[in-house]
Amino acid sequence: MDTVVQSLLNGALMGCVYALITLGLSLIFGVMNVVNFAHGDFVMLSMYFAFFIGSMWGVDAVFTPAITFPLLFIVGVVAYYAIIDGTLRQKYVTQIAVTVGLMTFLRAITQLMWKAQPRALPYSLIQGSIHIAGYNIMLSRLISAVVSILAIGGVSLFLSKTWPGRAIRAASDDLDAASLVGVNYRWTYALAFGLGSALTAIAGGLLMTFQQVDPTMGVRFGLLSWCVLALAGLGSIPGLLISGIIVGAAESLSMALWDPRARSLIVYLIFILVLWVRPRGLFGRK
Amino acid sequence: MSEILRVEGLHAGYGKVPVLRDVSFHVNEGEVVAILGPNGAGKTTLLKTISGLIHPTAGKILFDGQEIGGWPPHRVTKAGIAHVPEGGRLFPNMSVRENLLMGAYGNRESLRTGVLEEVYEMFPVLRERHRQMARTLSGGEKQMLAIGRGLASRPRFLMLDEPSLGLAPKLVDGIYERLQALRGHGLTVLLVEQNIHYALELADRCYVLENGRIVLEGTGEELARSEHIKKHYLGL
Repeated sequence: MDTVVQSLLNGALMGCVYALITLGLSLIFGVMNVVNFAHGDFVMLSMYFAFFIGSMWGVDAVFTPAITFPLLFIVGVVAYYAIIDGTLRQKYVTQIAVTVGLMTFLRAITQLMWKAQPRALPYSLIQGSIHIAGYNIMLSRLISAVVSILAIGGVSLFLSKTWPGRAIRAASDDLDAASLVGVNYRWTYALAFGLGSALTAIAGGLLMTFQQVDPTMGVRFGLLSWCVLALAGLGSIPGLLISGIIVGAAESLSMALWDPRARSLIVYLIFILVLWVRPRGLFGRK
Repeated sequence: MSEILRVEGLHAGYGKVPVLRDVSFHVNEGEVVAILGPNGAGKTTLLKTISGLIHPTAGKILFDGQEIGGWPPHRVTKAGIAHVPEGGRLFPNMSVRENLLMGAYGNRESLRTGVLEEVYEMFPVLRERHRQMARTLSGGEKQMLAIGRGLASRPRFLMLDEPSLGLAPKLVDGIYERLQALRGHGLTVLLVEQNIHYALELADRCYVLENGRIVLEGTGEELARSEHIKKHYLGL
């Protein structure tokens, strides 16, 4: 029983980070209907940037988003204008080919620069753990979860209270109508892609406080975020958080009770089950 | 009266399918002009081409003497044209108030001068429902919100596409009463309407569009007396 609760706790905390990653993905998918296969690789790239900055200047991973957030925003905007914008009116297959290409490209670049072996930062400011009722909570994971929830809340505020945020929501509701009230769709798409990518910078910095990174990690985060998005459905940010926690807990539970290698299997299983039984997700509209 | 919109020899369509063929007309400042015609005549395409959702293949669109043909829609909006599209096309997952705010997106100055209050005064039901999601409104309320959203940018020129579409006659009466009031405020309106009785009554001048061409023009009264209109539109 103790292992169950302990792994549920760990998984739930991790799930908050998954939710943050997925929020970026859902911004991109919800607004411009682009299936971004490279999203997980943006997380991987962010982790390498965090590693690079951390090891180069001795900055703690948790602070690296101060630099990587604007950096990934720019990477996202550039990626939008360079490769996504031209494919919006093309066949779906073209879009998939382009984002899969971006995925491969990012992986190759990181492999070239940092080789294939896993990298980790030597230590983090946030170490140790706290004990509550006999359970052990790693401080780094707790802080990651809290920061993720705060970031999700921040994006939520941005979307509901600011003009660019409202423009993103309007464009996702009805693109023509948004254009008719004065929204520049290319600018709004670039903003959504940039912000969606920049959110992985926060996640990447947090993950590097307790994880190592290697160039193949992108696929795992990509799959995870698609699974969380499918489970949540489009349009509900609290739903996204709950779904992230469910997936995180399920993953962690399967590792503790069955086999560490079963984690991806369980995630796939949830993904397939949701698409089969309830394609619009638990909290989705339409 | 000065001319606010002039369309000359306009051709437009979807892909290779031509819809508008050599359409020319004009609207004077302060006028209400209606475009009448059967389904599929190209009325909606005409409005979409003016607002920039469709690119013209030939011809000119002059707004205030400036060529706006081929401009992207957000630029056309900022020039002072509001287009209330067919079926309203609200933002379903945004509240009534947010829909109105978005209406002012291209001209936020209008919010500072109390445009929301004016819209709420015109359509009090929108004030009651201002926190509700647009998708939960009734058909009539949706149309009111669509018009309110169009007015929120304080346009100089308002284009309405079938404001009576799908509404019960009583609701249509209500909508047209408000439009009548708007006209009293000096707003210039280009109206597309299949419901010819309402259009003839509201409009100063009308054009009849058939098969992508303008076949008739005149004042509401003139058209109401025309044999063509009587036979094909009024069923007399």
